[in-house]
Amino acid sequence: MSRKVCLVGGATTPFDYPMHITPEAMIANCIVETQQDIPDFHLKDLQFMVYSHFSVHFGKQLCPEWIVHDHLGLVGLPHFRVENGGNTGGSALYAAFMAVKSGMFDVVGVAGWETMDNVTQSQGSEFIALASDTRYEALAGGIYPIYYAAMAYKFMKEHDLTEEDFALAALKNRNYAADNPKTQWYRGEYQKYKRDLTVDDILHSRLISYPLKRYDCCLMSRGGAFALITTEEWAKKYADDKYVVIDGAGLSSCTIRAGDRLHFPGWTKLYGEGYPDMTEFAACRRSGEMAYDMAGIEYKRAAKEIDVAEIHDAFSSSETQIYKALYWCDKDNIKEFVREKRTFMEGDVPTNPGGGLMGFGHPVGATGIMSAIECYYQLTDQIPKKHLSSKTYVKDAQTGLVNSHAGTGTSISNFILRRP
Amino acid sequence: MTDKRLHRIPDKVEFNDKHSNDFRGDVREHGFHFCGYDWDEKEEQFKVYLHYDQLYYWKYAELSKMGKGLLDKELWGTQCPKCGDKFFPPRVNCWNLDCNLEKAEWIKLKPEGYVHTFTIAGWSGKSSLKRLPFVLAYVVVDGCKTAVANELRGIDPWDAEFGMPVKVVWAPDGDRRGTITDFWFEPADGWKPGPMTPEKERMKELCKPVYEWVATLK
Repeated sequence: MSRKVCLVGGATTPFDYPMHITPEAMIANCIVETQQDIPDFHLKDLQFMVYSHFSVHFGKQLCPEWIVHDHLGLVGLPHFRVENGGNTGGSALYAAFMAVKSGMFDVVGVAGWETMDNVTQSQGSEFIALASDTRYEALAGGIYPIYYAAMAYKFMKEHDLTEEDFALAALKNRNYAADNPKTQWYRGEYQKYKRDLTVDDILHSRLISYPLKRYDCCLMSRGGAFALITTEEWAKKYADDKYVVIDGAGLSSCTIRAGDRLHFPGWTKLYGEGYPDMTEFAACRRSGEMAYDMAGIEYKRAAKEIDVAEIHDAFSSSETQIYKALYWCDKDNIKEFVREKRTFMEGDVPTNPGGGLMGFGHPVGATGIMSAIECYYQLTDQIPKKHLSSKTYVKDAQTGLVNSHAGTGTSISNFILRRP
Repeated sequence: MTDKRLHRIPDKVEFNDKHSNDFRGDVREHGFHFCGYDWDEKEEQFKVYLHYDQLYYWKYAELSKMGKGLLDKELWGTQCPKCGDKFFPPRVNCWNLDCNLEKAEWIKLKPEGYVHTFTIAGWSGKSSLKRLPFVLAYVVVDGCKTAVANELRGIDPWDAEFGMPVKVVWAPDGDRRGTITDFWFEPADGWKPGPMTPEKERMKELCKPVYEWVATLK
């Protein structure tokens, strides 16, 4: 396990709904932008392609990665697609990480996209709900925001939190997105507001599922992203001042139906009776532990060691739940952790300065890659060039965390990125 | 020796009781149907409208007892004979690794339980918009180790409570289809909502525009 795996470049398209660009053109654009940053990278360097795409329902096209791969001129190169719900991007990165770590390949491309604007928002919600247990949950009228709200409400009550506490994550990520020209928030609603959102804006947005309102939820989007994963040897040779080392990678799983994790035998053995219940993300905790272990980070020191994080804020509540799952806070101090704004730019764990899913958007297959790219830009000091200003630039960040999250917490990955 | 954990696969299934069109309404299958296009001359952008529908045949197979039970107003779950864990929704093999895929046994559940957690939905998938706002509750039925999600009716949404006792209420005869929507939950007999609180007032206020919006839906 001595081989180091690096993230040496990548790019995202703008995320929007609707947006007029095909998946193959999105990925081509991302590769062109990557080449602008890493001029020595050529398509001919690629040895393996991992495609990251969630739902073939949106395009009514099975194996859409075959269209993209063919279009890029990569015919002959090994490829496959990873599909793992909202954690598709993180899982594709995990596959690329394993491919390089194992010694099989030196240069691997990860390309992801989603075209959710091919259907209406309510139809899109229903498509995504097909990734819950359709026999019992989607059929009963459930869609993801409803499942998350039921989990969030219990979490809120048990931790003495309020709607206002969740609202802080919602406004933070959208307001940071206003500094990032590729985000759906900046391209869309922000142009009407032209100002930062307040807690009141969040509280007054329409009910989605109590305690979540519209601005507590992420956006449905079209968008694409690309990341280049290589050995350190390749990175040093071709991208010497622009790469980060993936020092930790963790992937874990939980039940598909949130109601099945009240007494799941495996979790009870690991964490004791009553965990994760329906309030915690055990797969986040477990994959976080794996990533921390690999990177040599003591759990209780995690908040001190991590300088910047891009996490899966599909909902303001889930961002808040993730703080706890990743050991940044515990049951006793979560309220203070949130209210002291520890995850804001001025706090000690700036989280989602790229805008997150609530600000940047959530074209599922591209999302986890987008989070990794934003974190990579931070650690390679490219934010001032990529964002509109340096307001969302975490200077001198050494260690970053990237989190990707699926289902009702059904599959979750965490990565630790470090400057070399 | 046949391993008792193996599920039997029937050689031949001939449905002698067929109801394939009972609830079909105006649903028809067309497969691919291109119904129109848009053109933006200035930006040279073209868009087509594709409608695609498909009828699926979900075979319940070893879960069939649950499907038939729902039709007959009976709630069937499963229980592991080794560790005793009880499940609804049913699991046909035990989830406990120590039980090594022990085959679970069918058990008729008492149609009652309590609310583990809940939410008031103000938005949902296309097929559920007209019933908004509704309470989706995760209910632990009859001492199961799991909670099942379903609608909680017979209550103002803001009156739902954690831990409240509920009963299973069945859809009328002729409406049941062997699916989870054949029943919903209602407060147990004798349960009374607590007094209004600031939080309930807040929920009520959030529901108001949802009621108004739903009233405008065709």
